Amino acid sequence: MAAQGTQKKKLIDWSSQTTFMVVCMAPIIIFLLVVAVAPLTYAIVDSFRELSLTVFTKRGAFIGLENYGDLIGEDEKFYTSLWHTVMFMAVVVPIEFVCGLAIALWINRQFAGRRLVLTILMIPTMIAPVVVGMIWRFFLMPSFGVLTIYMNDLGLFRETSIFSGPATAFGALMLIDIWEWTPFIMLIMLAGLTAMPKNPIEAAQLDGASKWQILWHVQLPLLKPLIIIALMLRTIDASKVFDTIYILTGGGPGDATEVISSFAYRTNFVKWDLGYGAAVCLVLAFVSLVVAGLFYKVVTRQRAIATTRTAVREKEPAVAG
Amino acid sequence: MKLRRVNNPVQFFLPLLLLLVVALGPYVWIVMASFKRKGDVITAPPKWIFEPTVMNYVEIFGKGFDRFLINSSIIGFSSTAVCVLVGTMAAYGFSRFKIPAGDHLFFYILATRLGPPVAYALPMYLIFNELGLINTHIGVILAHATFNLVLVVWMMRSFFDDIPREVEEAAYLDGCSHFKVFFKIALPMTYPGLAAVSIFVLIFSWNEFLFALILTGGDTRTLTVMIPSLVLHTGTLWGQVAAASVLQSIPILVFIFFIQRQLVQGLTFGAVKG
Repeated sequence: MAAQGTQKKKLIDWSSQTTFMVVCMAPIIIFLLVVAVAPLTYAIVDSFRELSLTVFTKRGAFIGLENYGDLIGEDEKFYTSLWHTVMFMAVVVPIEFVCGLAIALWINRQFAGRRLVLTILMIPTMIAPVVVGMIWRFFLMPSFGVLTIYMNDLGLFRETSIFSGPATAFGALMLIDIWEWTPFIMLIMLAGLTAMPKNPIEAAQLDGASKWQILWHVQLPLLKPLIIIALMLRTIDASKVFDTIYILTGGGPGDATEVISSFAYRTNFVKWDLGYGAAVCLVLAFVSLVVAGLFYKVVTRQRAIATTRTAVREKEPAVAG
Repeated sequence: MKLRRVNNPVQFFLPLLLLLVVALGPYVWIVMASFKRKGDVITAPPKWIFEPTVMNYVEIFGKGFDRFLINSSIIGFSSTAVCVLVGTMAAYGFSRFKIPAGDHLFFYILATRLGPPVAYALPMYLIFNELGLINTHIGVILAHATFNLVLVVWMMRSFFDDIPREVEEAAYLDGCSHFKVFFKIALPMTYPGLAAVSIFVLIFSWNEFLFALILTGGDTRTLTVMIPSLVLHTGTLWGQVAAASVLQSIPILVFIFFIQRQLVQGLTFGAVKG
């Protein structure tokens, strides 16, 4: 930086700010070039190759767009996993939202031990997804899982185990996701409810509005920015679900619980079909880039609404000269 | 702000109790399992009362649990250090200056977090494989630092945005350089936030599974990779799985109690203020 400072002696004030900007931004740019852009470029090149374990030692032959053609044109498993992912998101996110909101409305009071209760309720969200998977695997084990035993007593799953049927396996994964992530929605809604001004609610009460009317016409509209952020974050995270599926079903039985993440994992790191797998990953990365664009627009707007302080971002710090 | 008080304790606490049982029950069951003897872990009907033992904990240390614990710690702390250092500088830049093409960069940082991790893990695998960084700490440290960068940049940016501009302006008028203003004024004002961000990054790295699974192996495996490896075709020693899971999650339980105020902010990348 000293070197740069001397290079531009004419405008010292201006240049020192530029220098500082460079020092601020250079690490992240170099970092992203090394760990994100370079690997991505590498993967793009590999996605044009036939690169599997058999030819792993030498670089595979270039086959142009064949990997992409195969994937988008005719790979049914890819579309199946995509469909499962969409279905998963469509089921878990609304349920998590309704439950999370209900719990938040319930808890939003003053009581002894509130902090401890909140800590306990956040456990499912905060512990490692791997541990969540193991806990439920242990819970739902055939014959000896504690939940299996009690369900057997009720006459459920006596002949088959939960994870051997396609529908029950998928349903169980969804329930586990709901258990894991409802507290997350609850926490966001609770933050919104706690920060909510009291006056509109009191005014509505004076006007004789019922609890439901207040919820629908006062509280929900005020929560709207947070609801949108919460739903978007959950939808995105639900589309990435992997750890619990890896632990509990591995995508099975058959491909009944195969989602895009487990599909990509299997293609690359079980079948070692790396060229094809790179194409899969790049298609997914591209889709997520589009989603990210939407997300960015929505969040920046909702955040501006959510924070009472309007973010006035000055272009330059007011430095003399 | 004053919250509503509880009027009818029974009506309020009974459903709450049910909720706590649902949230905590599975975890309590695994804590219990970790203190059971081999014969008591898998029984039908399940055993609620048993003679506790610490055998499972002793046995997982015999299986190299301590090494994986150290791996997880090295990877967690190193990636947090890299990520917080790089991210905080950038966040200040984003907050204070008009960076050329800054919006694109800001957006790109976000995109690394929104896609399925596996889509980014493979490119990393390919290049780290070429560079000989597979099965080393460095590879997974870089990976974790990358995908936590968005959290640091977004949260720290919002903390810097909150600092009243007058404070820094006064310092500039006193002739302070940008570096001095950053290190002596802006940064210290964000220390509480910085601490919370660091804890979040640490937790996310500590809990991360996919990158660790792909990029580490053998002696460099993390706890999250080690735990599923205790599941064997010949029969899983659930007592040991339980013990490892409990030890892995204890630091997190402690942390969430202490950073509860920043929990919302961290989990939403700073989009929601607690």
